[in-house]
Amino acid sequence: MKLRRLSALAAAIGALVLFAVGNATRHDEPEEKNNPELSAVAELGRQIFFDKSLSASGEQSCATCHSPSHAYGPPNGASVQPGGPAMKGQGGRAVPSLRYLEHNPPFSIGPSGFIPDNDEPGTSPSPPKDGTKPASFAKNSTPAGAEANVPQGGLDWDGRVDTFQDQAKGPFLDPNEMANSSPEALLGKLQKTAYADGFRKLFGAAVFDQPELAFSEALFALSRFQVEDPSFHPYDSKYDEYLAGKASLTEREMRGLKLFEDPKRGNCAACHIHKASRDGVFQPAFTDYQFVSLGVPRNPEILANSDPRYYDLGLCGPLRKDYARVGSYCGLFKTPTLRNVATRSVFFHNGSFKSLEEVLRFYVQRETQPEKWYPKRADGSVEKYDDLPAAYRGNVDVIDAPFDRKRGDLPSLNDSEIADVIEFLKTLNDGFRGHKP
Amino acid sequence: MKLLKRPFLLTAAAAITGAVAWGTVDLTLTAQNVSETATPIKHVVVIFGENVSFDHYFGAYPKALNPIGQPRFMAKQATPAVNGLTEELLKNNPNFTNPVNAAGATNPFRLDRTQAFTADQSHGYQAEQQAFNNGAMDMFPRYTGNTGAVPGPGPFHTKGLVMGYYDGNTVTALWNYAQNFALSDNSFGTTFGPSTPGAINLISGQTNGGVRSGGEGEVRPSTALDDGFGGLTIIGDPDPSDDACSTTRSPNFMLTGRNIGDLLNEKKVSWGWFQGGFDLTVTNPNGTTGCARTSYSPIVGSYVKDYMPHHEPFQYYRSTANPKHVRPKSVVSIGTSDDAGANHQYDINDFYAAVSSGNFPAVSFLKALGIQDGHPGLSDPLDEQTFITTVLNFLQKSPEWKSTAVILAYDDSDGWYDHAARIVNSSYAALDLLSGSATCDAPAALPGVAGKPVNGRCGHGPRLPLLVVSPYAKPNFVDHTPTDQTSIIRFIEDNWLGGQRIGNGSFDERAGVINNMFDFSGPTNSVLLLDTNTGLPLK
Repeated sequence: MKLRRLSALAAAIGALVLFAVGNATRHDEPEEKNNPELSAVAELGRQIFFDKSLSASGEQSCATCHSPSHAYGPPNGASVQPGGPAMKGQGGRAVPSLRYLEHNPPFSIGPSGFIPDNDEPGTSPSPPKDGTKPASFAKNSTPAGAEANVPQGGLDWDGRVDTFQDQAKGPFLDPNEMANSSPEALLGKLQKTAYADGFRKLFGAAVFDQPELAFSEALFALSRFQVEDPSFHPYDSKYDEYLAGKASLTEREMRGLKLFEDPKRGNCAACHIHKASRDGVFQPAFTDYQFVSLGVPRNPEILANSDPRYYDLGLCGPLRKDYARVGSYCGLFKTPTLRNVATRSVFFHNGSFKSLEEVLRFYVQRETQPEKWYPKRADGSVEKYDDLPAAYRGNVDVIDAPFDRKRGDLPSLNDSEIADVIEFLKTLNDGFRGHKP
Repeated sequence: MKLLKRPFLLTAAAAITGAVAWGTVDLTLTAQNVSETATPIKHVVVIFGENVSFDHYFGAYPKALNPIGQPRFMAKQATPAVNGLTEELLKNNPNFTNPVNAAGATNPFRLDRTQAFTADQSHGYQAEQQAFNNGAMDMFPRYTGNTGAVPGPGPFHTKGLVMGYYDGNTVTALWNYAQNFALSDNSFGTTFGPSTPGAINLISGQTNGGVRSGGEGEVRPSTALDDGFGGLTIIGDPDPSDDACSTTRSPNFMLTGRNIGDLLNEKKVSWGWFQGGFDLTVTNPNGTTGCARTSYSPIVGSYVKDYMPHHEPFQYYRSTANPKHVRPKSVVSIGTSDDAGANHQYDINDFYAAVSSGNFPAVSFLKALGIQDGHPGLSDPLDEQTFITTVLNFLQKSPEWKSTAVILAYDDSDGWYDHAARIVNSSYAALDLLSGSATCDAPAALPGVAGKPVNGRCGHGPRLPLLVVSPYAKPNFVDHTPTDQTSIIRFIEDNWLGGQRIGNGSFDERAGVINNMFDFSGPTNSVLLLDTNTGLPLK
C-alpha cells in the first residue's frame, strides 16, 4: 500500500488514497465515474480527458486513443490511430501508454549541467561530435561512453516535451488528431461545456478573458488528473506482488524473468529496469528513459511512408526540430515501459509489429536472420534497417545482446525461451487478482 | 548522540516530535537562560526560507478560495488587513496593462494547492530592478517571469506565471501562524539579488568585501561587481571558497567583513547555523552520502540536493566557516566555541538533538534540506510547510518555548510579483537599471568595508514575508513598521549585545526594529500545533 500512499502524496492533496477505484469496469469508456479522491482541479481534468466535444471532429477525446481499458494505450491493433476534423487523418506514430509516466525525467543529454538556484548558467549538453555512434552509448561499452552523451527523458517517442501539460498540447492541436486550429478554438469549445463554470470558480471569473491563462489551466487540469488518479499508476501487477512477497511466479514466469535479466540472453533488463530504487521511492519503471536506435522495419500501414523520401527519425525529426542536424541522434527513440506491454497489440514507435512473439523474434533474429525482417534488394542483398536512410544505419545498436550476433549465428533465445519471456511479461499487467485499476 | 547520526527525514521528524525525552537538565541554569537579555526572549530561532515575495504568499490574506477537498482557511473576525492585492491590482494590474510584457501580460492569479510545484522565476540583481521599473512595479513578466518549462513543471505557459499567488489553501500553516501570532507586511529584502546576498545580509548586512578564491573561470559582474573602488560586491550566487561541497566549475568567494557570529562569539553567546545536509557522514535511504546527499519529495517528483553551499552565509567568512563540515564533539558543545572545530556550523539534526538535550542555543539559524526549503523548481510550499510545522511543533512542546521567538524570514523573492517597493540605498554600476541607465537612485549610500560608498547594494529589494511566532508575539497582528532582513540581526544585537552594531557600512545600523511585533508585557499561552501535511490546527 506504500505506493498508493506515494501517489496520493504526489496528488498533493494530503488525503491518502487507500483504495484503487474498485468498480471501474473493462468496457471501452468505463470511467465517466468520478473518483472522489481527486482534487477539484484534477476532476476538471478528468472531464476534459473524456470529452469528445473538444475535438474538431466531435468524435475524439483523449480517451479515444489512450483507452483506460487498455492501460491508457491504443484500443486496437491499428499501427496508428485515425483523427483530424473528419477523422480521415492518421497520427504519425503508435499511441504510447499514459501509464507510469509520473517519474519520467525531463529531457536531457548526458550528465545534467543544471546548478540548482544559481545564477551561474549551467553548461548545456553538447551533442556528440559527428561520427560518434549512438551504438557507443550501449550498455556494455565503457562507462565514459555510456554516460557521456546519452539522451534521456522527455515525453512522446522523441522526448520533445517535458511536462504533461506540454504533452497534452500536442494532440489537441495536431491536425491529424483532435485538430483544434488554435488554443482559442479549443477554449471556445471548452467554454460551452458543462464544466466551464468549474473553471471560472477555480481559476477566476475572468479566466476565459485571458486565453493564455485559460489554456494553461486546462492543460494543467488534464495533467493533474494523470498525476492524481491511481489508474495511471496502480502498481498492482503480479510482478509487484511478487516483489512484495505476496505472490510467487510460476516456473515458466521465473524462467522468463531469468532470461529477461541475463545479460547474455534476453538482456532486456539492461534498458527495461526491473528493480526498485534502493530507497523504494521508485518502483521498477521497466524503462531507463533513455534513447536507442533499434532499426525497426518500415511500416507501410503509415500513409506518410508511401513517400520513399519520408523517414521518421525520432530524436532528429521530423516532429522534433532541435536535433535535426545531429546525425548521430537520427533514428533514436525513447525506450517505453514494459508494464502492461502484454495488453498491447501494436509495438514500437511505428507500430510495425502486432504481437509480442514477433517483437521478441525480431530482437533475437534481427542480426542472425535479417532476411526475415527486411526487404531484399534487386541483387538479392538484404536492406537492413530499411526505415532509416543509409547514413543513419550505423546508429543502430549492434553492441548489446541480443543484437551482438552475426548473420547465421544462433539467436540468443529460442522459441520456447521467447514464450517464457512473454509469460514473464504478462506478470507486468496491472489488475492482478482482479482489482482493475 | 543517537540523533546526531540520524538523517532527518519526514518519518524521523515525526519520531522526534512525537516522543522527545527532555531529560533532566535543569533548564533554569543553562548558560543561555541566565545570560542577560534586553527582553524576555532567551532563544531566537530564525527559519530562513527560500524565494517568496510577500504578495506570492500573503497578497490574498486573509481570504482563501476554499475549493472542496483542500485544507480550509477561514479568517478570524478581527483579522487586520494587510497591504496586499487590492481589487484594482487583481483586475487592472499594471503588469496586465503594460504592453512590454507581451504574452506574459497577466493579472495576478491564484495558484491552486495542486500547483504547489512551479518553475523557478528569475531573481537576478539586475532583473529584479528592471521588473520594478523605477517603482511602477509593472514589468515582472518581462524581466523576472519564467515559463513553466524545465526545470520543473508549472501551471502556466507564459512568463505571466510570475503573477501567481497562493492562498491559505496552500500556505495554510503560514496563514494560521499569522492568525495567532505577528505578521509584517512591510519587510523587504535588504538588497536586490538572489539567495547568497540575502543570506549574507541576514547575518552581516554587508555584501561588499568579496574576495575571489578558488573555482574556475572569470568572475562575471552578475556574480560580483566592481564596487567602484577596486573591491567586489557579491550580487550573485557564488559558492563559498573551500567548502567541501562547493562547485569548482565557477568562481568561489569569501568575504572580508564581520558578521553577527563574530559579535556573539566575543560575548560568548551561544549560537549556530543548522542546515539540512551539512553532516557529510550521513547516508540517506537512497544511498547518497557526503555532499551528494539527496532527498525525494513526491510533490517535486525528483531527488534534490540536501545541502547547497551558497545558502550557508557563515561559510563565506574565515572566522565562522567550517569548510570541512567538521562535526561537533558532543551535543553539549553545540553552540559553543568549544565544539571541536565545527565552529557553530551544524546539521539541522544537531538542532533537534541540542534542544532535546536541554542545550538550546541563544541564537539559531535554520535552513531546511533543499527539498524542503521552498525554493521553486527544487522545492515547493507544501514541503516547506512540512519543515516549518515540524520545527514549530517541536519547539512549542519544549519547556523553553516560554522564552523563545521564532522568526520566519526569506532570502529573496524568487522574482515573484509584489506590488510594494522601498528603495533606501543607491548604486551606480552598469547592472543597476532601477531608475535609469546605471542608476539605482536612493536617499543614501552606505559605505562598503573600506569605508566609502560602494556599488552593488541597491536596495531594498522585493518585499518578503516576515512572521514572529512566540508567546510574546502579538496575536493576529499585522505590523507595518518598515523593516528588512537586517532587522533580525538588529534584534539580536539589541537583545544580547547591548545594541552593539556590526558597523562598517552594515545595514543593521539603519534597520527598522521588529519590536512592534512583540508584546513583552507578558507571554500569551498561545500554542498552535499544526498538521505537517495540511497546515491545519491539530485537534
